[in-house]
Amino acid sequence: MNPLELTLGIMTAVGGFVDISELVFAAKAGSTFGYALIWVFAFSTVGIIVFSEMSGRVAAVAKQPVFNLMRHRLGLKLGLVTLAASMIANLITCAAEIGGVALVLNYLSGAPYLLMAVAMTAVFILSIWVLPFKWIERTYGLLGLFMIVFAAALVAIHPPWGKIAGGLIPQVPPGLSRKELLNFAYFAVAIISAVMFPYEVYFYSSGGIEEEWSLKDIMTNRVTAVLGMGLGSLLAIAILSNSAQQFGPANVDPAIPGTAALEAAIPFGKWGLILALLGMLFAIAGAAIETCMANAYSIAQFFGWAWGRHKKPWEAPRFTITWIVLLLLGLGIVLTGVDVMTLVEFAILFSILVLPLTYLPLLLLSGDRKYMGEQVNGPVTRILGWAYFAVITVAALAALPLYLLTSGGNG
Amino acid sequence: MTPDGPIKLVSELLDLPLLDSNGRFCGIVDDVELDGEPGKSLKLKALLVGPGAYSGRLPGWSMRLVKWIAGDRITRIPMAEIRTIGSAAYLKQTAADLGLDKSESAARRWIPKRGAL
Repeated sequence: MNPLELTLGIMTAVGGFVDISELVFAAKAGSTFGYALIWVFAFSTVGIIVFSEMSGRVAAVAKQPVFNLMRHRLGLKLGLVTLAASMIANLITCAAEIGGVALVLNYLSGAPYLLMAVAMTAVFILSIWVLPFKWIERTYGLLGLFMIVFAAALVAIHPPWGKIAGGLIPQVPPGLSRKELLNFAYFAVAIISAVMFPYEVYFYSSGGIEEEWSLKDIMTNRVTAVLGMGLGSLLAIAILSNSAQQFGPANVDPAIPGTAALEAAIPFGKWGLILALLGMLFAIAGAAIETCMANAYSIAQFFGWAWGRHKKPWEAPRFTITWIVLLLLGLGIVLTGVDVMTLVEFAILFSILVLPLTYLPLLLLSGDRKYMGEQVNGPVTRILGWAYFAVITVAALAALPLYLLTSGGNG
Repeated sequence: MTPDGPIKLVSELLDLPLLDSNGRFCGIVDDVELDGEPGKSLKLKALLVGPGAYSGRLPGWSMRLVKWIAGDRITRIPMAEIRTIGSAAYLKQTAADLGLDKSESAARRWIPKRGAL
């Protein structure tokens, strides 16, 4: 393990952890239910750590990314269904991230929202074209570390740490009406979906292949997944706790993504606001690129094309055309004028429906000694993997009814 | 061909990625061609690659959609061209030599070859 590489990898994972959906749902969860949903963030973070580590290990040992394996395991028919569903989920998520970046730039500069969406899509295309994989990942991930201002803001407002720690214990707040209970359940499902987005695993495992991971990188994979995502999750919990402390008592509903930035403005003033917006800008921009590339990876891997940004764009031409078209499609959705929050809700909904199909082949393969040899899932990973699979399956079944019953958490 | 283990055709060979002699992904085993007669042993003759090879595996209505989007091209890879089979099927020649590079080459014409680090 190269300590510098490892540190950079962890910092990149921390800076890239929060995306627009986590930002929105963390802030809304805090203002609506106080600290009572912190445990769902913690629970989902353990889940994404388990599956990311698994996908990275498979990439290092079997040298195969998730979607190659998915088609081999699920077969053509179910594989195509999974591909189509994940494409829709990732495309909507990508559109939500492009819209989110445009909104943040609108807050920062006052420039028109749609113009900023066009400009940032051009920046994304240029970034992916010019920069090799590692630079893309690190540039956006490391700049996303401005998000640490949310953790600093939490410390600065002297929150009730006991209540925050208490939020880690699984709970349902007492005295909720039936309507509030349904809302609470919807938020829990939405947070599971936002933290365990399927694109994260597609991107992580493909990244392992891009960086040519091998057996010697197994420990790097494990440490990066645990520390990077674990510490990244603390930022999301900080956003929720700030919201619970600052917005909830004042009856502020963070209905737009920019409201979350005020969490840093309250203790630190103008510079807090600017740092928070910069953190949001780079974290969401990184997620826009990740969702787009995850989608292109999936398509290319499913059909067996040359892929990857460790190659020059013209060395993997169908892959290159695919990611460009996907970014333009994401931009096209934003240009229709659909509200970013609506996109976030649809992204959450579609993603949770795809989650079981994403994680099942990964579980089967990482538990197959023929592929994995000595690196097959151990008892802890196996039990955790299947337990989380059961939970996300229940969450997937509950997502649509809860969405309809609560009008997307606004009921 | 020297497979790494016994091959159960349906579960293990179908949908396996293909890697050419340069280690480049160049397709997926979409179907297989068998040689033999009823009552006699079957012999694996070739791997079939391309959207046209989905026809035996997808319902008719979806094949019309596949054909409209991706065409119905099939490339046949004789078993003699397979070096080994493991977590992927490894070919003895390059994708271009085996005719697996046509779509990639067509797409390459649209891509400017400059500006990337």
